[in-house]
Amino acid sequence: MIGPVPPGRAAGGHPAIPIHDENGTAVQQLLNGIFIGSIYALFAIGFTLVFGILDRLNLAHPSVFAASAFVGIELVTRGGMSLWAALPVVFVFGAILGLIIERLAFRPLKNRADAHFAGLISSIALAGMLIALLQWRYGPDTRRFPAGTFPDTRYEVAGAQVTLVQIVILAISLTLMVGLTYMVTRTRLGRGMRAVAENPTAARVLGVNVDRVTATVFAISSALGAVAGVLFAINVNTAQLGMGIAIELKGLAVIIVGGMGSLPGALIGGLLLGLAEVFAVQHIGSSWRDVIAFGLLFIILLLRPQGLLGARKVREV
Amino acid sequence: MLAEYATTLTFIALGAIFAYSFYAVLIAGQLSLGQAGFASLAAFSAAALAPSAADIGDVPALLTAIVIGMGVGAAASIVLGLPTMHLRGVFLAIATLGFAEAVRVVLLNSEWTGGAQGLGVPRVLTVGMAWTALAVVAYWFWRMGGSRYGRALEAIREDELAARAMGIDVGRHRLAAFITSGAVAGLYGVLFAYYVRLIAPSDFDFAAAVDGLVTAVLGGSTMFAGPILGSGFQTMIPELQRAAGIEAGWIRPFLAGLLLLVVILFLPGGLTSLIPRPVRMPAAEDDAGTGLAGRRHPAAGDTVVALAGLGKEYGGVHAVRGVDLEVRAGEVVGLIGPNGAGKTTLVNMISGLVPPSQGTATVLGTTVGRTPVHRIAAAGVSRTFQHSKLFDRLSALDNVLVGAHLVSRPTFLRRLLWLPSARRDERAAHQQAARCLRRVGLGDVAATRASALSYGDQRRLEIARALASDPSLLILDEPAAGMNHVEATRLSELITSLAADGLTILFIEHNVGMVLRTCTRVVVLNFGEVIASGSPEQIAADPLVIEAYLGAADEDAAADPGAGSIAEGTAVDPTAVGPDAASPDAVLNVRPGAAGTLEPPDTTSRDAT
Amino acid sequence: MRSTTLHTVAAATAAVFVLASCSSEGGSGGSEASGELSGEGTGDSCSIEGEVPLGAVLSLTGAAASYGESQQRGLELAAKELAEKGGITYDLTIEDDQTDPKQGITLFDQFVNDGASLIIGPTLSNAAVQSDPIAQEAGVPVLGISNTAAGITDIGDYIFRNSLTEQAVIPQTIAKATEEFGLEKVVVMYSNDDAFTESGFEAFEAALEDEGVEIADTLTFSKADTDFRALLTEAQGLEPDALVVSGLIEAAIPLVTQARELGIDVPIIGGNGFNNPRLMADAGEAAEGVVVGAAWNSASDNPENQAFLEAYQAEYDAAPDQFAAQAYTGLMLIDEAIRSECAADRESLKTALGELEDVPTVLGEFSIDENRDAVHPAVVQVVQDGKFAVLE
Repeated sequence: MIGPVPPGRAAGGHPAIPIHDENGTAVQQLLNGIFIGSIYALFAIGFTLVFGILDRLNLAHPSVFAASAFVGIELVTRGGMSLWAALPVVFVFGAILGLIIERLAFRPLKNRADAHFAGLISSIALAGMLIALLQWRYGPDTRRFPAGTFPDTRYEVAGAQVTLVQIVILAISLTLMVGLTYMVTRTRLGRGMRAVAENPTAARVLGVNVDRVTATVFAISSALGAVAGVLFAINVNTAQLGMGIAIELKGLAVIIVGGMGSLPGALIGGLLLGLAEVFAVQHIGSSWRDVIAFGLLFIILLLRPQGLLGARKVREV
Repeated sequence: MLAEYATTLTFIALGAIFAYSFYAVLIAGQLSLGQAGFASLAAFSAAALAPSAADIGDVPALLTAIVIGMGVGAAASIVLGLPTMHLRGVFLAIATLGFAEAVRVVLLNSEWTGGAQGLGVPRVLTVGMAWTALAVVAYWFWRMGGSRYGRALEAIREDELAARAMGIDVGRHRLAAFITSGAVAGLYGVLFAYYVRLIAPSDFDFAAAVDGLVTAVLGGSTMFAGPILGSGFQTMIPELQRAAGIEAGWIRPFLAGLLLLVVILFLPGGLTSLIPRPVRMPAAEDDAGTGLAGRRHPAAGDTVVALAGLGKEYGGVHAVRGVDLEVRAGEVVGLIGPNGAGKTTLVNMISGLVPPSQGTATVLGTTVGRTPVHRIAAAGVSRTFQHSKLFDRLSALDNVLVGAHLVSRPTFLRRLLWLPSARRDERAAHQQAARCLRRVGLGDVAATRASALSYGDQRRLEIARALASDPSLLILDEPAAGMNHVEATRLSELITSLAADGLTILFIEHNVGMVLRTCTRVVVLNFGEVIASGSPEQIAADPLVIEAYLGAADEDAAADPGAGSIAEGTAVDPTAVGPDAASPDAVLNVRPGAAGTLEPPDTTSRDAT
Repeated sequence: MRSTTLHTVAAATAAVFVLASCSSEGGSGGSEASGELSGEGTGDSCSIEGEVPLGAVLSLTGAAASYGESQQRGLELAAKELAEKGGITYDLTIEDDQTDPKQGITLFDQFVNDGASLIIGPTLSNAAVQSDPIAQEAGVPVLGISNTAAGITDIGDYIFRNSLTEQAVIPQTIAKATEEFGLEKVVVMYSNDDAFTESGFEAFEAALEDEGVEIADTLTFSKADTDFRALLTEAQGLEPDALVVSGLIEAAIPLVTQARELGIDVPIIGGNGFNNPRLMADAGEAAEGVVVGAAWNSASDNPENQAFLEAYQAEYDAAPDQFAAQAYTGLMLIDEAIRSECAADRESLKTALGELEDVPTVLGEFSIDENRDAVHPAVVQVVQDGKFAVLE
């Protein structure tokens, strides 16, 4: 890894653009972007699922992300479970949280004229309560999975370091996303979801149990968010109460970039955001990283409001 | 007493002002989270640019800062608003949030702001100044409430499309609301800075924006007192918890969240829903002269609508094709045809909601196509919709007042100054609205919310609203749908009496008998084409029409004399459907789902919040 | 259903105002009752009849909750020990500012009105700049126990702190590390959206310049960030002799772990934010060799420190961090100041705090200088075998 050393800071105080003739660094950064992007995607898919089918933004989603990371850690440290056993439990835990959120924060509002705003506020309220409960149960300090929860195996790919954990995270994220896409497009439940997305009234007339589909969507969405939370905590070796808030804005950016409601869009949006962030660190300066993310979001919204993979909205009158 | 609560009271005022910046757009149905960004830009610019209080004195320094801050806030909102005003609902929220975050990062990285360590600002603001500022802002929104401008914003919130059809320039109104929001947010930023002594970019982060939104929605986004109540509630919660001796720690945010949830679930409309809002219906004797802007109607026999080769195609499907039609002033034209014949599409093109794919259309001298809907409305076209598009949360009277948008004068600025002329104009508008309500027989339900009216009353209210703009051409899309026989007869009489006043009427109706009885001319559409046109008598006898309309069913009709006849209007139209099953060309946001795409990505919220 | 709700809300609203007015009466009652706040004797024999009202404004919820909680524990431990000691009864009220400037300002106002003899806190430096002036104007002494930003005590002559500024700790750290590792070129990383870490960065930058160490690049992150791989990969490509990091413990743990995971084996140098036993507990092996310049030498064998470590462990079944140590010391210093004149009114306390000199504390021999800032030895520690050891 010996190469020409770039100048530290250019005149004016802005970090200079480092010279990259090191293949290893570039590959490492690419992988960094893909790994973090896959978690963004898994998180965002929960957002986009609820928005896509039910047209509601569930702002309690980030707190599910945080809560499940803490619960996962407790299952492993106190319950003595392996990570493999804990993941399905967390999945179920997330699903239950999803049902609670739907029942408490969304269902009571469904016939209200201001359901849109009210749903935002009620989910924010619930998120605040959930975080407070977490602080009660676990205190405000960071937590993490105990050392050795996962074998510390590393690989070297084209001069870059990859851990087994990261590969597993990527695999789980992809599997869940492919599974979800299959479910939505091919199964009966999926057809029910799409019917509700098209027109809840018509779906009801056609015999779809709209309430049950709604609850299921929340359950699945939160379960995915829960798994994302655990994977994220393993990936960065830390879980904290604010972890959901930190990823929330990125999740929102991802679903816009990918296209609201589009599952493949969320995956591509997540990866794109991960890579854009890495690109920003490499070539623009780390302080501007978050501006890049939101700049991307903004440009997409202006040029293609339906997102990269969203179908063009037909607005007929 | 007051001194002891000065801090709390000041924060209530500041919180309320910030909430007003959300209220300003919520009232127009927009969800923006960019206010924290405006406030932050304003606070930092004002703190950096305004002369020091030591040089020119406290109040002049603060006033200069406020001018700078509100200017910066308004300017920022224009910069953000122009490209984003076409976004709706959550999309607008996320775009504006992205802007606010970008502002925060830029300010963090700038030298002049002091970065994370912030910028010191002298404390100049007192509780009295804060409440004075709040009073001014609240006054502004209070006076806006009963003005033409305020009603237009509410109409946009309730149903954007219907608002357009009432002649409201939605884009301009939305932008105006957004700029107001930016200026108020700027005011908040400056006041906050001059009270807390140190501002850092993190004081204006996502959490701050969410706080402002919560306060506004909690208070109620449909009444001007909402932000004050919301802020009082939010600010008092920690005080109350301390006073109640609840231990510091997790339990406080938990209870605060619970309380918020309870209020939002059980008080739709927020805290202001506890305040009753009387609606005053002008007495009948007020009916005398009208102070409204008169409209020049075309003379009887002049061409009102001229269509030539008009067609509309949706992805290869011809909804309407090659329609040539002329409607002259004073005519009552009925448009009939089976479901899916393209009637609504045709009417939508005439009223400017849908641009034609082929051909030309001129309506009241305006070329339809590129002309925005509100311009066509301004030319004298007014309409109702197949599926009622009322402003649900407004009273019946307010619905009709919005209908009078085009013929009433702007009153907001004059209301701010309590000019008597504003009151006169408002009274005139109210009288006009009351007249229209009475004309359709809804005089006694003026104060009722539109959503609470019976179905038939809602249809009539839509007609009253359409009449309020004193139109030259009235388009009714299935006005009798869902009405019983008696109601339909009364409607028929109403239409006849309107026609007698010289109004040109074009209406779609499935109740063929009513059409034949009411119209001077009937046009029959099938598969997007005009298959017959003529007097009711001619149409009733036209075999083509009978076949198109009843198809194979005519044999059944013949076999069962009890089924009634078309001409008597007692035939049950087999194609007529209830209001819930939308025909393909209905006024709906169609949501196609592609495989793998759950959601039709849309830029509009499903319900026009 | 609907009407019940309305009544409930109306009742709750009424309750707010009733309770609010109750608290106002209770509040103004106790102010400036300095008559009871002086007593007989000096030092350990001092005995004051009235309860000494002390307020503490900490961030117990919100973003800075983890520091606030440590501080709360430190204060409560000290309060318990002082209660056992007797002579003076403290009425210590710990309040939560929710990491929100508005709450901080409100609480300072309330403590001032409620007659507190002194206010401890607030947790964050930015909050101190916002709320300390309220106490200054009212003549209430303030003791900051974690404010490290420059200029806090310049707010006025009632504002003291027992926390060393980053400027007092970091130059020493950099000098030691340069000597130890022969640093020539480093990469500096810091979270640029936090006042504490940003001022730490400025101190690092100046110290590195003084030592003639080249800064190959400066990388910033957000205090909420936990994935540092992109930054670390960037830093790695620059081949630095060390990573210098100004961050809070939440960032320190993942940052250190991920650096080691990526194969970065150069020393990592941190500031006060790193001085936390959780660094070793949570980063494990990866924390080995991390250099931490800090105000509190957790490994110090001075009797006060040893007693503190033991008592803290016994009370909370956890090792204290620097926030807890400084909070504990803060209350002990207040006690010391009160006993010196055997008076606990605001003015006496202000004078006595200013005269503190060479007090043996958990932080070492402690004095307050003429700028009302803390003077005590700082330490450069290195993680060895899962513990902080003094870097020598």
